[in-house]
Amino acid sequence: MKSTKPNMMRRRLLATGLAAPFVSAMPGILTPARANDTVKLQFMYPVGVSGDINTIISNMIAEFNATHDGVEVEAIYAGSYDNTEQKVITSLGVGEPPALWLPINSSLQTFLGLDALEDITEQAKADDIYDDFIGGFLDTAVSDGRLYGLSYQPSTPVLYYNKDAFAEAGLGDAPVTWDELMTAAQALTIRDGDALKRWGLTIGGGWHDWMFEGYCRQNGLVPWEADKVLWDRPEAIEALEFWKKMVDAGCMAPASTWQGSANDFMAGSTAMLYHSTGSLTNLRTSSPFEVGVAFMPKRKQFGASQGGGPIMIAKNQSDAKKEAAWTFARWMTNTENQAAWSRATGYLAVRKSSWQQPEMQQYLAEVPQAEVAMKQAEYSGAFLQVPAYSRARDNLKSAIDRTLAGEIAPEAALTTATADTNREIQRVQRRQG
Amino acid sequence: MSSSFARARRNEMLLAYALLLPSLIFLAVFTYWPIIRSVWFSLHDVLLGDPEIFWLGAENYLRLLDDRLFWKVLGNTAFYTLTTIPLSIIVALLLAVAMDSKLRGMAIYRSAFFYPVMIPSVAAGMLWVFLYAPGYGPINAALTTLGLPRLDWLYDSDWALPAIVIMSIWKYSGYFMLILLAALKLVPSDLYEAARLDGVSGWHRLIHITVPLVSPTLYFVIIIGTLHSYQIFDYVYVMTQGGPADSTNVLTYYIYQNGFQYQDIGYASALANALLIAVLGFIGLVSVTLGRRVHYLGER
Repeated sequence: MKSTKPNMMRRRLLATGLAAPFVSAMPGILTPARANDTVKLQFMYPVGVSGDINTIISNMIAEFNATHDGVEVEAIYAGSYDNTEQKVITSLGVGEPPALWLPINSSLQTFLGLDALEDITEQAKADDIYDDFIGGFLDTAVSDGRLYGLSYQPSTPVLYYNKDAFAEAGLGDAPVTWDELMTAAQALTIRDGDALKRWGLTIGGGWHDWMFEGYCRQNGLVPWEADKVLWDRPEAIEALEFWKKMVDAGCMAPASTWQGSANDFMAGSTAMLYHSTGSLTNLRTSSPFEVGVAFMPKRKQFGASQGGGPIMIAKNQSDAKKEAAWTFARWMTNTENQAAWSRATGYLAVRKSSWQQPEMQQYLAEVPQAEVAMKQAEYSGAFLQVPAYSRARDNLKSAIDRTLAGEIAPEAALTTATADTNREIQRVQRRQG
Repeated sequence: MSSSFARARRNEMLLAYALLLPSLIFLAVFTYWPIIRSVWFSLHDVLLGDPEIFWLGAENYLRLLDDRLFWKVLGNTAFYTLTTIPLSIIVALLLAVAMDSKLRGMAIYRSAFFYPVMIPSVAAGMLWVFLYAPGYGPINAALTTLGLPRLDWLYDSDWALPAIVIMSIWKYSGYFMLILLAALKLVPSDLYEAARLDGVSGWHRLIHITVPLVSPTLYFVIIIGTLHSYQIFDYVYVMTQGGPADSTNVLTYYIYQNGFQYQDIGYASALANALLIAVLGFIGLVSVTLGRRVHYLGER
C-alpha cells in the first residue's frame, strides 16, 4: 500500500469544483429536529448464498433493536456482495457512508484505499475478540497487523453431493482426489441420446473463480501476493486444464449461475455441486434427497479459500455512532448469535465458544455435514486480497469461461488475465503511491 | 411602423427564450454538465468514492485502444444493434399491415402484440431467463417437440447474445408496430384501390406503396430503435451480467462495470465518450444514407 513511485508526472487536483453537484447535500433541511438520544445506524448487507438469509438477518436486527435502548439499526438489504460494495462506495463518495456494512472479505484493500474503515484493533483487544475468535477467520479483516472488521459469515466452498444419485450409480463415498472426482462425475452424468438429463458436476457460476482459487491451493499454489496475481503459474494452468478436461469429457457443466446452480442441484439436474457452505441449510432441507457434504477433492493437498465477510465500521462518522456500531457488531458476533446464525445458514460460527455450546454440539451430532466446512477451514486462507480485486475477479472468470467455451487454450487465457490484472493493480497502486 | 414591428419581434423572441428556459436549465444540469464533466474526468485518474483526482492526459484513451474487451464489447453492441433493429422493424411492419385490416376483434390483437412493451424490462428479463432455462425451460421443451436440438441459450457463449436479440425483438416490435400503424392510417386508400384495379399483388403493394409512404415514420423508428439498442443495459444486467465469456457484454454495461464495480470513473468516462462518438457517427451515417431516401407525401 505504501509503495512510492516518485517519478509520476501528475498534478494533484482537488475535485471540489467538479464534485460539487455530486455532493449537493442538504443536511440542514433534512435533519429532523427531534431531541431524542437514539443513535440511528444504517447497516448494509448482502445475500451471498442460497436460502432465505434476508429474513434471518432482519429478525436478528429486530431482536437487537428490541433489546437495546438508545440504538436503532436500520437494516438495508443491498443485493449481492457486488451491489452492496457499490452502494457503500457511492455513499462514501458523497461523504455519508452507512454506519456499518458487510462486504466480501476480498474488498478489504479497496475500502482501505478509500480510507473508509475504522481501526478496531484496540477495542477488540480490550474485549475477548482475539481470544475467542477463530484466528483464520479474524485474519481476513487484518491488514498490516491492524483489525478492520469483525468476521461475521466466513465460509468455504464445499462439495455437495446427491447421495441417492451416488447409490444409483453404485458409488460409495464422496471423491477425495481430482481423479476420483472426474470418475464419479462421469458415472453420474446421464444422457438420453444427445440430450443431457443430469450433469455429473456443476461448479457454482459467478463464484467459480473462488472455487478455482481452491483448486490452485489444492495444487500447492496460493495464486496471489499482496500486489500481484500468479494465475500464470504451472499449478494454476494445470487446474484449468483439469476443468477443461472434465468439460470436454461431457461430465461438467461449462457454465452456470450462482442461484441457478443451487436450484439445479436441488432439482436433481446436477449430481455434485461446488457451492458455499453458507447454502448448507437450504440445500439440505430443500432437496428431496439426502445431501452429502465433503471436502473439495485434493490433488497435492486439501485447500480452500475463505469467502464470506466481516462487519466493517465506517471511519467517517461521529464517536457516538462508532460506539453504537461497535455494540451492534459485537452483538451480531456474540457466542449465542453466531451459533444460531451458523445453524440457520451453514456459515461457520466465528467463535470457538459458539462451537462448544450444548445446542451446537447437539446440532452437529444430528447434522454431521455442518462440521465438514469447519474441518476444511484448517486448510483454508483468505480469498484474493489484492487491490483492484473486483476487476481481477472478472478477468479470471472471463479467462475460465472462454477456456471452457473452447475459445482459447488454458495457458493463453491465464497468461493474458494475469498480465491484464497485474497492470491494473499497478495502476491502482500508483494512485496510492 | 418598423420599430413597432421590431419590438413585437423582440417580445416574441423573449417569450420564446422564457418558454425554453426551464427545459434548458434541466438539460444544462442533467445533460450538458455531466457531458463536460465526463470529458474532464476521462483525462484524469478518478476513483469512485475518493474526492482526489489526478491528471493523466490521454492515457485513458490509449488504454481503450489496447483493451481487448473494449473491442469485443463494441462488436457485441454493433451486432445487437444491426440485428435487433432491422428484424424488429420488419416484424413490426408486417404486424402493422396485418393489424390495419378491419377484422372483428382487431383491438384485442393489437393489445396482445403491444403487451410486451408494457412489461417492465427487469420483469421481462427474469421471465425470459426462465423461458431459456436449459433444463426445464419451455423454449427447449418446444424445440424437443419439434425434433430440433436443445440449446443452452444464455449459458452458451455463441447463443447468449442472439437469445437477448430474440427477446428484444419480442419486446420492441409492438412499440414500433403502434407507431407504424398510425402512419398506415394516413396512407390514402385510393392508392391501394388504384393498384388493386391494376392487378398489383399484395407484396408489391407493400413494397411500392406502403413502404415509401410510411418511410418518414420508418426513418423515425430506425433512429428511435438505434437509441434504444445502444442503451441496452437492463436485459444484460438481469439475464447474463455480461457473460458467459463476455459474449453479452455491451458498451453501457461495460461502462457501468468500470465505473461502479471497478471504481474506475476516469476510464468509464473515456468509454462513455467513445460511445457518444460512435452513436453520433452511426446516426449521421443513417441520416446521410437512409434519411435522403425518405419520401414525404406531397413533396417532390
